[in-house]
Amino acid sequence: MGAPHGSDQVTSALRLTQALLERGASVQVWTCGYATLLTQRALGPDKPRNLADWNRDYPSTAALAEELLTAFPGRLYWYGCRFCSDDRGAAEHLPQVVLRPPAGYAANVAAAGKTLLVGVI
Amino acid sequence: MRHQEKADGRVLAIVERGYRGALEKQFFDELYLATELHRQLGGLDVLLRGQAVTYALDAPPVPPLRIGNRTVDTLTDPRQGLRTLLEAGVGVWAEEPDLAALGAAGSPDRLLAGIRIAREGETASRWTDYRMVCFL
Repeated sequence: MGAPHGSDQVTSALRLTQALLERGASVQVWTCGYATLLTQRALGPDKPRNLADWNRDYPSTAALAEELLTAFPGRLYWYGCRFCSDDRGAAEHLPQVVLRPPAGYAANVAAAGKTLLVGVI
Repeated sequence: MRHQEKADGRVLAIVERGYRGALEKQFFDELYLATELHRQLGGLDVLLRGQAVTYALDAPPVPPLRIGNRTVDTLTDPRQGLRTLLEAGVGVWAEEPDLAALGAAGSPDRLLAGIRIAREGETASRWTDYRMVCFL
């Protein structure tokens, strides 16, 4: 999964993830580049307040990733590229997120029955 | 010329790229920023071009998304964003050639109420009337 905040590819990737999990599949998510920022613990559970709708809660991407991981235990695994994460200063991730060196990417691909690449860095 | 005769120190904000992350941005999109710029800078006009002209077309609300066991009903809704801008007094135009590419240039009734159509180059010719031109 590639950069958020530039297109709807993160929305698409997580919609597909949800659909696959609901059908009983096991899914690995691998984040690259700025997508590694999605699971930072510093994001907290909610986005900053909406000045136009102060009392409404808007989930952070970390909260949404955690929601997915909690809803589908043992079938969803979330990996991130350590280099990309370090390169962007994203040091503290959700505890379920496993950072791997970019050289480990092929091992994740080999472990998957099918790989869908939705954007890069 | 369907624009105001004089921009009177207003700011022109041009939005060309659309759909920049409905799930991660939610309310905090370029139109939310436009609302704040309108408030701070004393008056904004918005020109929608390119893919962003689709924001001007009326459509049902954005459907919610299921994530885990949660229903996320706070995805970015650009049409609601435009309605908020219009209610705040922001002028909103959609550029005709890009509407035409969608087959919508001849159907102004498909646009959200209050959005006007700008002819090609019409707004560019008025850049000098604006205090500031920004691409959002």
